[in-house]
Amino acid sequence: MSETTMHSPVDVGPLTSPDGGVTLADAYATTKIQVRAGAATAAAAALGVSYGRSRRNADGDLVCGTRPDEWTIYGDPGRSGAISATVPTEGFVTVIDITHGRAMLRISGANATSALSKICNLDLSDELTPNGAVFSGSLGAVGCDWVRDDQGGQTSFLISCERSFGKFLFIAVADACTEFGLSIPAGWELHPH
Amino acid sequence: MIIVPCPNCGPRNSGDLRPAGEVISRPDPATCSLSEWREYLYMRPNPAGWVTETWYCRGGCRRYFTIERNTATNEIRGQEAS
Amino acid sequence: MTNRLPAQPGEVIDRSTSLSFTWNGKQMTGYEGDTIASAIAANGVDVFGRSMKYHRRRGILTADHWDPNLFLQVGDEPNVRAGSRKLQAGMVVSTQNVWPSLKFDLAASNQLVGRFLSSGFYYKTFMRPQFLWPLYQKILRKFAPGGEIHWETSTHGAYDKRYVHPDVLVAGGGPAGMGAALAAADAGASVLLVEHYTELGGHLRWGDDAQRAKAAELAAACEAHANIEVLVDSTVTGRYDHNWIAVNQRSHATAPERLVKARAGVMVVAAGLIERPYVFAGNDTPGVILAGAARRLINLFSVKPGTKAVVMTANEEGDGAVADLERAGVEIVAVLDARKGESIVAVEGRGRVSKVQVNDGRMLSADTVVTATGWTAPTSLLNMGGDRPVYDPVAARYFSNSLPSNILATGGIAGDGSTAELEAHGRATGELAANRSLRRRHDRVSQTARSGAPTWAKPEEVADSRTPLARNPHPECYRSTTHGMVDFSEDVSSKDLVQASKEGFDSIELMKRYTTVTMGPSQGKLETVNAASVLAEANGVEMADIGTTVWRPPYSPISLGALAGRILEPVRRSALQDWHEAHGSTPLLAGQWVRPDQYGDAMAEAANVRANVGLIDVTPLGKLDLRGADVPKLLELVYVNKWQKLDVGRVRYGAMVAEDGVVSDDGVTGRLGEDHWLMTTTSSGAGAIWEMLEDWLQTAHPEWDVHVTAVTGGLTSINVAGPNSRTLLERLTEGVDLSADAFPYFSVRTGKVAGVSDCIIWRIGFTGELSYEVHVPSGHALHVWETLLETGVDLGCAPFGVEAQRILRLEKGHYIVGQDTDGLSKAPTAGLGGLVKLDKPDTLGLPELKHAYGRDDLPILVGIQTVDGSIVPEEAAQIVDGDQNTILGRITSSRMSPTLGRSICLGQVDPSLSAAGTEITVLMADGRRIKALVQEHHAHFDHEGARQRV
Repeated sequence: MSETTMHSPVDVGPLTSPDGGVTLADAYATTKIQVRAGAATAAAAALGVSYGRSRRNADGDLVCGTRPDEWTIYGDPGRSGAISATVPTEGFVTVIDITHGRAMLRISGANATSALSKICNLDLSDELTPNGAVFSGSLGAVGCDWVRDDQGGQTSFLISCERSFGKFLFIAVADACTEFGLSIPAGWELHPH
Repeated sequence: MIIVPCPNCGPRNSGDLRPAGEVISRPDPATCSLSEWREYLYMRPNPAGWVTETWYCRGGCRRYFTIERNTATNEIRGQEAS
Repeated sequence: MTNRLPAQPGEVIDRSTSLSFTWNGKQMTGYEGDTIASAIAANGVDVFGRSMKYHRRRGILTADHWDPNLFLQVGDEPNVRAGSRKLQAGMVVSTQNVWPSLKFDLAASNQLVGRFLSSGFYYKTFMRPQFLWPLYQKILRKFAPGGEIHWETSTHGAYDKRYVHPDVLVAGGGPAGMGAALAAADAGASVLLVEHYTELGGHLRWGDDAQRAKAAELAAACEAHANIEVLVDSTVTGRYDHNWIAVNQRSHATAPERLVKARAGVMVVAAGLIERPYVFAGNDTPGVILAGAARRLINLFSVKPGTKAVVMTANEEGDGAVADLERAGVEIVAVLDARKGESIVAVEGRGRVSKVQVNDGRMLSADTVVTATGWTAPTSLLNMGGDRPVYDPVAARYFSNSLPSNILATGGIAGDGSTAELEAHGRATGELAANRSLRRRHDRVSQTARSGAPTWAKPEEVADSRTPLARNPHPECYRSTTHGMVDFSEDVSSKDLVQASKEGFDSIELMKRYTTVTMGPSQGKLETVNAASVLAEANGVEMADIGTTVWRPPYSPISLGALAGRILEPVRRSALQDWHEAHGSTPLLAGQWVRPDQYGDAMAEAANVRANVGLIDVTPLGKLDLRGADVPKLLELVYVNKWQKLDVGRVRYGAMVAEDGVVSDDGVTGRLGEDHWLMTTTSSGAGAIWEMLEDWLQTAHPEWDVHVTAVTGGLTSINVAGPNSRTLLERLTEGVDLSADAFPYFSVRTGKVAGVSDCIIWRIGFTGELSYEVHVPSGHALHVWETLLETGVDLGCAPFGVEAQRILRLEKGHYIVGQDTDGLSKAPTAGLGGLVKLDKPDTLGLPELKHAYGRDDLPILVGIQTVDGSIVPEEAAQIVDGDQNTILGRITSSRMSPTLGRSICLGQVDPSLSAAGTEITVLMADGRRIKALVQEHHAHFDHEGARQRV
């Protein structure tokens, strides 16, 4: 089986509000490689970002300083082997493919921050959470890893959570977006009637 | 909901973290007496005033750290990564 | 609209839009912009309801949000504040607290037996005899002032929440609050300006032309400012530590109410002043209104409050009311100037004021009494910041004493002044708030890992150099020589308070609880200061020596729906849950997980596992990937058994105890490579075990090389169990020799299953059958599951649910942590004797383990079978001492066994009963006592494990 036929916990979307103010899309198939390494390792030097920040490398992968001594590299589907091979493994370094274990969504648009602020207590303003910011925090009562990864100058967040929470997270975020015009497909309501 | 200054993440709402209680020292389990062990298990000074306590940044960096907190006013000073 | 005046210069009603509604079944009309109360009053209504205890007729008192007499039922919503809620077309409005009708109220006879409802009547009357309480409760409920809820037919929909992070939050949109917001915003701070009413302006709204023009100018500036977000019809209901501030937004397009949770740098409190009623006999008669109420009715809503008025005034608000009343065509019978000692003694009248007795002996004819006797400073939000306000006898009100640096006060709460002076003080306060909050924002940006460094310089700290507002002298007007109502919503009179003081409840906090004064829906806004003054008088001390009660959140009531918001209760689903639901599974909520309990017949599912082969989704098992050379050290620390010598390719069962020796978790852990392990935990324990491992690694043993990664959802776990399991897997597995010799019991292999690589397969036996647990990368789990089922058709392969698994494991006597053990079960109780190794230098709870194994009084978990195998004792049924009720244990698990055709149990028993063959007595829920026998083994079936080792 190839990586690209992965079965996502979210089999709906992408969803866009009529005014284009907010778009919500599943991104489960994104390759996600987690690296654990001490600050003094060659891996840490090669990854080259500190906790809280991210950068896009020459291959186009997004390298995130996810936690102290922990990085996540996000890439196109199917790039697990290629990305893992770029990480130097001298010393005590762990490289794990967490692609299957993390549900992921991307929310973009002018109203994305306002929608997320209905179910997230973190300050998502441009100054506290600028483009490139990497952080963790609860969204809709689900623990998530976040990257602010603007697309074409438009605000965009790439958000992942433990896979089993994925469907709930998507529903909770979609519900928060309804104030900004997003329509919810049948069966994906937070409060079904 | 107080603000807890995580040494790695910065200031966070306490709901993002788990309080792990006052810092206490663990006796050597191989040599200590049962009463010393139970002192460690159950007895806490719990003052109305300054305590040094451990917090776990559950929703953020997943690191344990200590702060000094005034239990009467929730004033916080000093933070240290473990 | 009999009481509607011609157009007034500041009216907020839109006469071109009529709204029809009903009041107690009667058709009425009002205008867009009316409050519910102003519309009803415009139609000539005097009486709006009945009071709580005495069911006295009540009319408009304050004509604003705090009016204790204007709680009405609107459609399915009770307790609507008609003094501030805007009228909408089609509203069905009715009185609350009348029985059987507004005009004829049976409970009004309480007035005749009022002595039974005096201070502390709840405590005195309903305490004894206790068995009558349910009856009392039924009767009291008829008298209760609340409306009715109709949740079954509610059309309110979901409430909502939102988080905000303003530098400055301003509570109150009067001239000072707007000034503060503008100055702070001009200085670069982000500002949330919260106004209780539907328009900005505060008291300027019902003021003169110049005041209204000023309000409009400031409001327009606030609305237009890029740094200010204005929330109207919203109330700051609470301030908590570190400026965590709750705002209840009542009018928002998407929800009936919305709780805005703000974390503000600085809170500016500009709550203004609330007018206080005067205490005298008959002060709750319809027609007695406050000066502010008269002015609001006339100037905002163009409603004439009466025809002949006596006005008692101690301040400008009263003087202003006289002018407004005259303009509205109300005959002024007399103006009593409290500054010159003139006052009201009593009023008479049943449905409406008819006579007014003055302290110079006159008896005047009037239908309206207007009082302006002073102010309550709503210091509520300051209290919540730790302030204890102090009484100033010159100004006759309370002022803040000491505020933390992140709270500032301005406007009427801070002192008196002209509109310009109030605005100027507000602006100075806003500048100070901006300075403090921008310094804080600079710190936040600097300290927050994701933010990067601030691109602007941290402002220098500026001192508080504001010119304080004046405190104008005001007469202390609290009570006349007669007794009257102090708390209108709780029906507590000044006489009740004097009596309470005499009975010894002479501190304000005790008196409050004893009499319930200030405990009604007004929450002290109208009554706190009057109550303190009556108590001071009764105790013969100064007001300043009485203190005040502490105002706690919420500042104004908030719907439970708003506190609940959207229902965010995360549910965890395995990659196969959609399949289970599509195939008729009964959902089982286990912690956060939803799982298949059964697919129709759990007994048949269990039998199929014993006969053929079954599949169960056990994904919720906690799974932790452990890497590093020091993993064995970590495992030896947290498990009771040893791990150093486990070979690569082998798995082992491990049990954990906490530091107090109580069994906390268990699971299978396997060694996949020299430095690579996979640990499993119970589903409910997974999160806590992960945090515990991190704790030991980070705080006690940072020198150990171990990386822990949670992989629970990443690996979908499928248990393939039954005599045909090997045959089934052999058809689909590549690269793994499944034969008994090559892949023995308690081993682990990695390979390809149904074409999916990186599957981890381990051979264990929770069900007691030959079985393999296959951990599949979750994106491909559905494919593997469906392929197994298709390929196993001829082998009798079928899914089984959690219930069948529980039956199977109980037949095998495998205990479940938290089901067969509890918060007091130490290792010997669970029968871990063979596993526990006490010769380790460190393991969790070691001293307690040593102690526990020296005891002979701990309960023991045993297998139990009832003598009559058709009876299945309830789980948690007690094991008792024969005919006595001494408890000697309990049944922890019980089921009917399809394999044995009889009931089987596990239970904890007193050690005196633990020997095999002991007859015990089980007390059933229905009172029967049944006999049962303690078994030799936990397992009821194949205790040697022959079936799982083939």
